Amino acid sequence: MTGEVRLETRGLSKRFGGLVAVKDIAFKLHANEIMGLIGPNGSGKSTVMKLIMGVERPNAGMIKLDGVDIAGWPPHRIARAGIGIVFQHSRPLHRQTVLENIKLALLPDSLLRLAVDPKVDERARAIAERVELGEVMERRPSTLPFAYLRRMEMAKAIARDPSVVLLDEPFAGLTAAEVAAFSELIRSFRAENRAVLLVDHNVKGVAALADRVLAMYLGEKVAEGTAEEVMRDETVRRVYIGGKIEASQKRAAVTAGRPPLLEVEDVSVFYGKAQALDRVSVRVREGEFVSIVGLNGAGKTTLFNAVSGLVPYAGTIRFAGGDLAGRSGGAIARSGIVQCPETRELFGDMTVRENLDLGGQHLSAAARAAQLAWLFELFPILEDRQGQPARTLSGGEQQMLAISRSLMMQPKLLILDEPTLGLAPVILEQLSKAMERLRRTTPITVLLGEQNVTFALPHADRVYVLEHAHIVWEGDPLRFAAEMGTGYL
Amino acid sequence: MLGLQIAIDGFAISALYGLAAVGFTLIFGVSGVLNVAHGGIMVVAALVGWFSAGALGFGTYWGTLCGILAGLVMAFATYFVVVRPIQHSRAIPAEETEIFVLTGTLLWGIMIEQGMAYLFTDNPVTMRPLIGGVVNIMGVRTPRNEIMIAVLCWVLIGLLWLLINRTRGGKALLAAAINPRGLTLLGFELSRIYLFVWTIYGVLAGIAGVLLASFLGVASSNAGPLTASAFAIVVLGGLGSVSGSLAAAYVVGYLETLTAYLVAPTLRPIPPLILLVLVLYFRPQGLLGRR
Amino acid sequence: MSRILHAPSFWIAVAAVGVAAALPLWLSAYVLGVLTAAYYFGVFGMAWDLLFGFAGEVNFGPTFLIGIGAYAAAILNNVLALPIPLCVLAGAAAALIGGLLMALPALRLRGPYFGVVTLVAVLLLQNAIVIFAGVTGGEIGMTVPDVLSIDTNINYWYALGFLVVCAVLLFGLSRSAVGLILQACGQDPIEAQALGFNVVKHKVAAFCVSAVFSGVAGAMLIFYMGAASVDTVVSISIGVQVIIAAVLGGRRTIVGAALGAIFLILASELLRPLGQLNTFIVAAIALAVILFFPDGLLGYALRVGERK
Repeated sequence: MTGEVRLETRGLSKRFGGLVAVKDIAFKLHANEIMGLIGPNGSGKSTVMKLIMGVERPNAGMIKLDGVDIAGWPPHRIARAGIGIVFQHSRPLHRQTVLENIKLALLPDSLLRLAVDPKVDERARAIAERVELGEVMERRPSTLPFAYLRRMEMAKAIARDPSVVLLDEPFAGLTAAEVAAFSELIRSFRAENRAVLLVDHNVKGVAALADRVLAMYLGEKVAEGTAEEVMRDETVRRVYIGGKIEASQKRAAVTAGRPPLLEVEDVSVFYGKAQALDRVSVRVREGEFVSIVGLNGAGKTTLFNAVSGLVPYAGTIRFAGGDLAGRSGGAIARSGIVQCPETRELFGDMTVRENLDLGGQHLSAAARAAQLAWLFELFPILEDRQGQPARTLSGGEQQMLAISRSLMMQPKLLILDEPTLGLAPVILEQLSKAMERLRRTTPITVLLGEQNVTFALPHADRVYVLEHAHIVWEGDPLRFAAEMGTGYL
Repeated sequence: MLGLQIAIDGFAISALYGLAAVGFTLIFGVSGVLNVAHGGIMVVAALVGWFSAGALGFGTYWGTLCGILAGLVMAFATYFVVVRPIQHSRAIPAEETEIFVLTGTLLWGIMIEQGMAYLFTDNPVTMRPLIGGVVNIMGVRTPRNEIMIAVLCWVLIGLLWLLINRTRGGKALLAAAINPRGLTLLGFELSRIYLFVWTIYGVLAGIAGVLLASFLGVASSNAGPLTASAFAIVVLGGLGSVSGSLAAAYVVGYLETLTAYLVAPTLRPIPPLILLVLVLYFRPQGLLGRR
Repeated sequence: MSRILHAPSFWIAVAAVGVAAALPLWLSAYVLGVLTAAYYFGVFGMAWDLLFGFAGEVNFGPTFLIGIGAYAAAILNNVLALPIPLCVLAGAAAALIGGLLMALPALRLRGPYFGVVTLVAVLLLQNAIVIFAGVTGGEIGMTVPDVLSIDTNINYWYALGFLVVCAVLLFGLSRSAVGLILQACGQDPIEAQALGFNVVKHKVAAFCVSAVFSGVAGAMLIFYMGAASVDTVVSISIGVQVIIAAVLGGRRTIVGAALGAIFLILASELLRPLGQLNTFIVAAIALAVILFFPDGLLGYALRVGERK
């Protein structure tokens, strides 16, 4: 049973310059309720959380906490009014113990109270026990595993006994067992009559916990209801999966016997203490089109960045037989692995042509001209836009430019990370056609990372599913629909 | 009469400041480094130029060349001894790198200043003009050398513009200032681009140092004030903006010249500093800065 | 309290102060004079560390605060012939105003930009002193009629006592509840706010405390030396020495800054025979420390201790 309304927003909007990050968001959060706020990268869910906490000021709308409008208040006042938050990335005090870190959260906001009240010590110990940190409270954060640090952040957030708790991607970087234990802790907030808002990339992450889920896309609410309802929702499925799943098996037989081009073996990556990849192995044969599907935050980008030499990793990555360890990002790109990143990384103030020329800088003049002509045939719109600064292009055109710029390098292996991110269906179709053409007319090898399964499957010879830093499934696209299709979201 | 004199002197000194500041702002734009040893590097160029032209008997032209070379060598030394080790250090947390680079180059600047005073002299030195003679511009007697300096600075700035906007290497440099990650993905080595920009910087700072020695004279103790001027110019113009720096160089150059002629030569550095503080209070992105 | 009495580091500190207090029995007047100046520098360093190490504000112009305190005291003593304690108080008040002036841009500007402003602040102060040479003595400096004492030993004990008092106060503050909050504000302002702390209030307070300690120490220093000049309390190179001392000793330790200052001044005294090269070598040592032990000497020792 849920109780009275604790937090209510109405008409909440936020613009950054010309970009509308949050538009007209309204919801009610009740006592002893857990609500999930989901949406892919850039959907505005994190901004909503920052607006509630006061880290960003809303342009319009109201935020009521226990009946009082707190919109526009500074964060420290909002915190004292009864909202606690667990940030995804936090920097604890390293010279202090866990207990002292928790005590910090209990101190009065005063310049004169120099001595710590004995009651604070008592309360901090009780909270440490409450989040099961009792045994390590005298240790320093730097000596503890990541899951404990998350618990410590949780302890800080509930220290002032807030009526509303905001959690930003609470499970990122935790193992399955840790997720279960952590979920138990979050569930126990209900008994304390708190309201909890979980912010995450996807329904799956919060389904087991949340009473209700609100889905956002491009700053707007697209669905609201129970986890099952939201998962079934047409718009949500279109945002995450695309439309109907289609697959092809035309070439799989052809590429099966070819030698491997890229071999990723037992690769693990840590960001600080958070594990982003756990012994992942992936193999791509020459001429193959391999898709790695997985939701935001599963580890796709991390895997690609490890291959491109942009993040340090444990394990082995071999390309055309040679170990990539110790090679610089630039050297890896020149050896033929070209990544077209999710963030596109265009040179915004330079023209389309200048962007393309930089991609083809390692080619001879004749080869560059030929490559350019071929790309203009693939994406005719770019030819018309040649003299325009890249940042003035539409999202779809920017994506085409990013892909073309990578193709200018004549890659042996093209890595495409989330090319569909934030694009309209019409553009997706154009991109899809270009992919098909690329696959049919060139010997290129492609490794595609996608959340949008509809986009990823039709071209793929083979599919991997990456979930929570692990490869959980591998097979051909025809089997995917049968074996993974429903459980994917 | 005095007005014209101020106009001419201000123009020449501003061109010189602009030349020095452009290199400084390029480094910031491309690699985010604020090089506080900047004035020190100019002083090295000036003193080595003066010493090899006079005491070593190389003559003015070869002396000038030696000075520029010394500026280049010091720029490389700054990068390899101070900046790069700090950027690559694992013991320094990423969010503190900027501060460590600032502190490191500050110490390095002091070492240069003291080292120069020890090796050469702590008195002001003036190089002989590259070309002698005086022309009369509407009643104002102006040394040919001063005109030559202004022209040379603008020629160099023009060449730099061509280098950046019309050559492949320059384009890569521009791209690195916009998005270094994107450039790595296209197979460029950022380390080479950094080396390239420090080379440009070293040559420009070297030339500016030597020309300053033949125009106003330079002492080892000028290292600090020269850095301060460059800072004022670059911040006024918006950090990383080349055209902004050139415009700001003229603001600062003329402010200083006006003060020197109309108020007192000793107060020369003050108005730009006050302007800088005001701008930082009210428009932190600089006069022409983006964002 | 009993916990403090059981900590070995507390007894080491007491023993060190005891030995320092007895030094006049053995050392020459000259060495005592050097140490006296070093102790005042120690206070400069500690006040700076409170701002940088705890509040996270990069102040490249510690001498802005020190110089204001020193010159305010010197001018009042010289022109109005006020007694020393009043002058020191006035120095503290003037420095406090300076600290508030500095806090203003600090709240608006990001790290490096603020660093530039602090450097400029020092240059402006330096120029102001030269412009108003009539009152300040300009580049030559000014002598003050009163001095703390003419006895070397008493001067030494004054300085030592002052250093110990400041160290206890600042170290205590850094370890207090307020120090904990300040550290959180410096490390991650957004999270500190989300924990319910008014970051602006705490940072401004840190500027005020740092300014008062710097101002008082600056004033005491000129009443020890009997003169105030740009080269001794304002110039950027003095400020850099303060920063070097704090970084050398170890950021975020307070006491490290005092140790660093003493080490630095003794080192440059030992290197005095090298003449002009002395500053060069000190800067080189500091650069080496930054490159190889960025946590500073005490910070490094603490880290090694923690690992055990």
